[in-house]
Amino acid sequence: MSHTIPGRRNRLLDRTTAILGRVLVVCAVVFLLAPALFIVVLSFSNDKRVGFPPQSWGLDRYVEIFTSGKWGAPTLLSLEIGAWVAVASLVVALPLVFALKRSSLPGRGLLEGMAIAPLVIPVSAYAVGLYAVFAQLELLGTKHGIVLAHTVHALPMVVIVLSTALDQVRPDLELAAMTMGANRLKAWTSVTVRLLAPSIIAAMLFGFISSFDEAVFITFLGGVGLVTLPKYIFDSVQYAVDPAITAMATILMLTTAGIMLLGSALRKDNK
Amino acid sequence: MTEVDVRPQPPRIRGRRQWNAVLPKLPAMLMVVPLVVVALLFIIYPLVKLGIDSFTAGEGGFSNYAAALESDAIRNSLVSTLTMSVVVTVLCLVLGGSLAWALTKARKPIHKGLLWTAVLLPFWMGVVVKSYAWAVLLAKNGLINSVLTGLGITEEPLTLLYTPLAVVLGMTYTMLPYAVLAMYPTMAGFDKELLNSAAVLGSSRTGAMCKVWLPMVRPGLVAGGAIVFAISIGFYITPVLLGGAQTPFMATVIGDDIFAYFNYPRAAASSVILLVIALTVLIVTLKAVGAKALRGGLGK
Repeated sequence: MSHTIPGRRNRLLDRTTAILGRVLVVCAVVFLLAPALFIVVLSFSNDKRVGFPPQSWGLDRYVEIFTSGKWGAPTLLSLEIGAWVAVASLVVALPLVFALKRSSLPGRGLLEGMAIAPLVIPVSAYAVGLYAVFAQLELLGTKHGIVLAHTVHALPMVVIVLSTALDQVRPDLELAAMTMGANRLKAWTSVTVRLLAPSIIAAMLFGFISSFDEAVFITFLGGVGLVTLPKYIFDSVQYAVDPAITAMATILMLTTAGIMLLGSALRKDNK
Repeated sequence: MTEVDVRPQPPRIRGRRQWNAVLPKLPAMLMVVPLVVVALLFIIYPLVKLGIDSFTAGEGGFSNYAAALESDAIRNSLVSTLTMSVVVTVLCLVLGGSLAWALTKARKPIHKGLLWTAVLLPFWMGVVVKSYAWAVLLAKNGLINSVLTGLGITEEPLTLLYTPLAVVLGMTYTMLPYAVLAMYPTMAGFDKELLNSAAVLGSSRTGAMCKVWLPMVRPGLVAGGAIVFAISIGFYITPVLLGGAQTPFMATVIGDDIFAYFNYPRAAASSVILLVIALTVLIVTLKAVGAKALRGGLGK
């Protein structure tokens, strides 16, 4: 029967669809890779202005980053806030995921949803709400205020990493430890948390990065005094063009990539 | 079961009582206290306060909403924010869907590696760095203009930066990886044998994709699209850096109301409008495709 075999027209149609699909994928890949590669290439230009193609090559912009003295304070502030956020988000998230996965507490879905909600709240509106609350609690322009805001911001990622990791650890192991005389706390700390350790470190790394890259809350809540690295770059890009930013962007990209790849590797290790 | 058992009880053995795998309610409740405190204070309270303030601050009632919607700047911003977010969502679904599907089909390690690198690369840049990269790319003396003039397609460099196009490109760049990761599980779960079955039954590949593949991956597409849209309407950094003052965007007018005009009541009203739109989209999606697809889209 002829209609069971794709006809010529259909073959033409199929080929067109296949080519179209491939074009879309190539476009998407180029679209995703180009900006990053472009910044890296430009960071090795010695031109006075950022432009393409570069007229001269060299490491001037990297030298400038490390010698100008402008980048030290924002970097330190970002590192400090990021470290606190990594710890704070773990303090909130780790007991939470244990309670979610190991108890029959009612409303577990709601609690988990609450922790993940900041992911989908439109951030500029959310920042206005936090601005009002921070004004009331006198947290505007304070470091611990920013740590709190960033902790909420980091929470979804940290909870997702920890809860998928805890799903992989069978409660039977804890039960086995308890039959051998360990109490629950001991079973958790000596069995489960040890098995979770790589994921806990991964979660802290992701929490750190989410704070380290965050720029909206610091703009709304940081006042004029607190200038983190993203805020510093944001201000410089808005008011002037500092070619050294290409070098800083490259350094940040490599650092973030390294930390995130380490985090992902640790998560895979955990299985 | 509620009657008191009067029979003699066996002695309670300490170890035995503790062999229960299920954590008792009391410690579980204590363990969720940190989250409950943080969520009440810094997630629920800010949103509730925003809602209350939008009706009570300033002259109260609906006056703040009237002020927001009577302002041409804010009305234009709202329209262009929604339009740009729809365009970003469509781009993310088309490009992200193709990428996610390609990821499930890629066999050669080099293809797989290239695709995954491309998808994850934007995660390695903060939103400021991403926007900066696009600003440099789209500038008068940037890569795109030098290619266009070099090929003789245009005589003069085009104005690409500080246009809606720049904002859409920058936002799509940020959201595309989320879209791919949101759709990937659905696509990976699709049984490719079904396409062969359709072919045996006389369907062309294109027909099979439209009539078999598309309906089956639709929940993933809808959930991914809703999440992209809800996040997109709240963008702040990208519209400020790539759109400038010329391109109206809700985030820009909200930021101006707070920092330049000190008009918090109107900013609160504008924010509530954004929140209600995002919430509506997410709830409609939840009803349409169910909680599982929506959670899948968020990486759970």
